[in-house]
Amino acid sequence: MAQFALVIDLNTCVGCHACATNCKEWNTQASFGPLSDFDPYGREPEGVWYNRIMTYEMGEFPNTQVFHLPKSCLHCQDAPCVPVCPTGASYKREQDGIVLVNYDDCIGCKLCSWSCPYGCREFDEADKVMKKCTLCIDRIYDESLPPEQRKPACVLTCPARARFFGDIEDPNSEAYRMIKERNGFVLFPDMGTNPANHYLPRTETKIHIDEHLLRADNPLFLEVVRRHHVGL
Amino acid sequence: MHPPLSLIWFFLTAGTSIGLFTFTYFMEFLTLWGKNTALPKHMVVFSSLLSLVLIGLGAVGASFHLGHKLRAWKAIRRFRTSWLSREAVFSGAYGLSLLIFLALRYYDVTGFLYHAVGILTFLLGWLGAFSTAMIYASNKFVLEWNTSLTVLYFLDMYLMLGSSAFLAMTYHYDPRWVGTYVFLTFLFVTLGLFFRLAFNIRQAFLKRPTLNEALNLPHNRPIRVLDTGTTTTNYCTEEFYYRKGKELLPITIPIAYILTFVVPIFLLLYVWISGKNQYAFYAVTFASLLVGSLLERWSFFVEGNHVQNLFYGLYPEEGYKLRKGFMEWKKTKITYR
Ligand code: SF4
Ligand code: SF4
Ligand code: SF4
Repeated sequence: MAQFALVIDLNTCVGCHACATNCKEWNTQASFGPLSDFDPYGREPEGVWYNRIMTYEMGEFPNTQVFHLPKSCLHCQDAPCVPVCPTGASYKREQDGIVLVNYDDCIGCKLCSWSCPYGCREFDEADKVMKKCTLCIDRIYDESLPPEQRKPACVLTCPARARFFGDIEDPNSEAYRMIKERNGFVLFPDMGTNPANHYLPRTETKIHIDEHLLRADNPLFLEVVRRHHVGL
Repeated sequence: MHPPLSLIWFFLTAGTSIGLFTFTYFMEFLTLWGKNTALPKHMVVFSSLLSLVLIGLGAVGASFHLGHKLRAWKAIRRFRTSWLSREAVFSGAYGLSLLIFLALRYYDVTGFLYHAVGILTFLLGWLGAFSTAMIYASNKFVLEWNTSLTVLYFLDMYLMLGSSAFLAMTYHYDPRWVGTYVFLTFLFVTLGLFFRLAFNIRQAFLKRPTLNEALNLPHNRPIRVLDTGTTTTNYCTEEFYYRKGKELLPITIPIAYILTFVVPIFLLLYVWISGKNQYAFYAVTFASLLVGSLLERWSFFVEGNHVQNLFYGLYPEEGYKLRKGFMEWKKTKITYR
């Protein structure tokens, strides 16, 4: 059985939020939109997003690393959000494993969001239904698009090429290869959800900086000296 | 978790309804075994009618939890997998069966049919209650709820509400049974106290997942949330984390304990020992239980921590560090050689 998914490279993701923004842009105008915004010009603009980028810092100073974690619905293979839905509005497709919400059947009881350990579902207060990443199903099957465009909006837009899309059950797909070759992992494996989306781990890189780079006119270097002198 | 008032309302109304009907029918049921426990007709009719009104009000109130009330009927579709669906089916069937029971009693049809419908109503009511409790208990991602204690305790609270309501009612219509119901209410409330204590003590010993587990990263590396990728709160942080509620818990839990358990136990013991059998005691017992249960359910929701809060740094072991518009800045010293 096919299982479509995203594979995200944590090594190259720069946390630019382009994927989240383009996701919102595409899905607001496409079949699963709109993604409502509340108080968009106010002090606390709030809205529905399918994809959110979290930023974490790992390690103890000075050996710390910052990494960004884009998180949208992981299209779990044993999705706990599906069986709890009382109307069957939440369902997982046989043919490609994509988890979707039928807005016409959703009664807005929110139980699916209670049953997602990743926080990947959002309730749209304007439409009163539950919404979530559709894996851009309306792009990937759209035959009016040129084949290279039949990919999720977030994958197409990522400037760092950190996102890959494909069938993780098909050895010929890019997603499958990435997971195998680069040791892809999933979030919260203990939860028994078997997520389809994978992440590629960060690899350790050593950068050697030649001494001539520490020349006095390096603006960064000057900044360090200045901070040092004022005792910061 | 953010406490939904509509669900607390449903707990109180459905709980009183099912509990009250249980004892009303229980007395009728005993007559089948040749016991002289038949209640006056108007008491059975009044009590069943009250149960019916309460479950109706509960259903209307609970629908406010839904985004689309008019589609609520669709909730019966996934009976095979969803506890919410089962709750909807059983509670609806309970209401219908109760209506038939009431009609049978009203028209004095008290033979086989009457008892068959009575038993059916009883079963449907408790299946509904069990399904409601299972919605919480089966949620693996809120560890505080994910225990059989949640179910036992939930069902016992229905018995507490029901027996205390029945106690006040029987005082008016058939005082023979007051002693029995003073004892039963006392029993259920004491049991409830033990369940609640166990529920609270269990929370202290829960083995909670960490952010490292959530991110599937090595356990020995400290990880901090720097940015949650959102300028304000969002659906996930609002629904699954309720800061104001968390701050109020140290006040609401003790008050809930006092009103739900201490006051009723004290009053019932007082009646028992002093022999002062007065209606006011029973009315206050029920009222105190009702208000106490409201606070208790509210606290139950707020005490629940959803594991998805880990991603936002809002899970207990994180110490609830992240606040709206607040980010921790670490002073960094740069040493230059
Ligand atoms: S667009 Fe690419 S680099 Fe930017 S946040 Fe998304 S995944 Fe990361
Ligand atoms: S990530 Fe959440 S919403 Fe998506 S399939 Fe898994 S459990 Fe369901
Ligand atoms: S696959 Fe489509 S819907 Fe899902 S996060 Fe990417 S752009 Fe959004």
